[in-house]
Amino acid sequence: MNWMGKSRPGATATATAAKPKSGSTAVTASPTLKSRSSNGLKEFLWLLSDIPRVRVLDLGPVWQATVNFFLEKGFRISTEDLLGTWKEFLSAEEERMRNAPKSPDGFVERVSPSALAEKFLENALQYPPESVNGVLAWDLLDYFDPAVGSKIMERLYTILQPGGAVLALFHSRAPEKFHRYRIVDTQTVELVDAPTLAMHTRVFHNREILELFEKFRSSKTFVGRDQVREGLFLK
Amino acid sequence: MWRKPTDPKSAQAPNAPKPNVPPTPTPVSSTPASAPVAAPPPPPPVIEPTAVASTPTPAPAAVPPAPVYSAPVTKVVSQDTGTPTSIGAGLKIRGELSGSSDLFIDGDVQGKISLAGSRVTVGAKGNVQADIDASDIVIEGNVQGNLKARESVRLSGSSKVQGSVVTPRISIDDGARLRGKVEMSRGVDAKNSKQSTTEPAAVSAYKTVSASTERE
Repeated sequence: MNWMGKSRPGATATATAAKPKSGSTAVTASPTLKSRSSNGLKEFLWLLSDIPRVRVLDLGPVWQATVNFFLEKGFRISTEDLLGTWKEFLSAEEERMRNAPKSPDGFVERVSPSALAEKFLENALQYPPESVNGVLAWDLLDYFDPAVGSKIMERLYTILQPGGAVLALFHSRAPEKFHRYRIVDTQTVELVDAPTLAMHTRVFHNREILELFEKFRSSKTFVGRDQVREGLFLK
Repeated sequence: MWRKPTDPKSAQAPNAPKPNVPPTPTPVSSTPASAPVAAPPPPPPVIEPTAVASTPTPAPAAVPPAPVYSAPVTKVVSQDTGTPTSIGAGLKIRGELSGSSDLFIDGDVQGKISLAGSRVTVGAKGNVQADIDASDIVIEGNVQGNLKARESVRLSGSSKVQGSVVTPRISIDDGARLRGKVEMSRGVDAKNSKQSTTEPAAVSAYKTVSASTERE
């Protein structure tokens, strides 16, 4: 798929700030919820709109609203809370290392982030190659060690079909709160306050983002007024 | 080989003498059965080869000692008694469960659960490693396996599911964990649902008899 070749009437190239939309529900219903307008999501959905039997992989937690949104569109959706799984994996690894017999010379086993990522991916993101059309990565890559993030990106590239897209968010500064994302409508996502699963690891420079997605055919970036960058990457 | 032909199905005989003895541990449970194994109201579920399922009704004290079997459970068949069959915390079942009764699981189950036309509830303490095929499925605990519902699936906030979900309707509470795909299927109408509640049970009963015969 080439998004340059598709006509998209009325599309804007810049992201708009979060505005309470009169038609959307729950935008300001709770103090723990806030929404943001997402042109990246709008573009992501537009890219997938021509594909029959689209399969989307949501790497955030499962939400009724998000599942309903995709099912009503006729999409097939898979969910895998990657950050939650990662946290559980790290806890299990720490437990394993605590209980491991100590060597007499005081040698302490250390595992590199890359090796840790490979072990993690033995059980996570287990999807057949080229089986997914779109991936919603949200802001997860901000929370992973760079070595782990690159391994995850390699896996995502493998399971994406040619022409598939990844939507990823990158903070321009460390976020004050940990949020999870759920979809309200085609251009609005809701930020849900959540217990912190992981510490914000780094702020990516634009060049680092492009390096992370270097295998992808093309990319497009939207910057919101909240300075969150939305990257859309096409395989 | 499971029991002498003259032995009563002690846990299921409603008129059998009931000395006051504590409930016996079931052969498939590795932990002491803290939850009482209650005598189900008549007609009792037909459970082969051992009574590992129970209803949440009281009167657990008057159960005579049940024979202890060394063989693992292969199939548990339950008939519709009007009340849900319950697998309490501390019980472990490995094998295939089928029939037409509603089922509540708060213990450990490994294998396969086929209760077409019925509701399967996995409680907060439940730990299931099995594919579940039922009319309605409610998950509050852990499930590793595929969920296939003819009516609806509900994942509560404490649920943790690893497997695919195929259902015409799905309800997901905040906090639920799902690692797998969600697909919508067409719901079945009431007539078909009624038919499906009886046919698989009959087939399962037949298969259970065959399995017992093979062992003998």
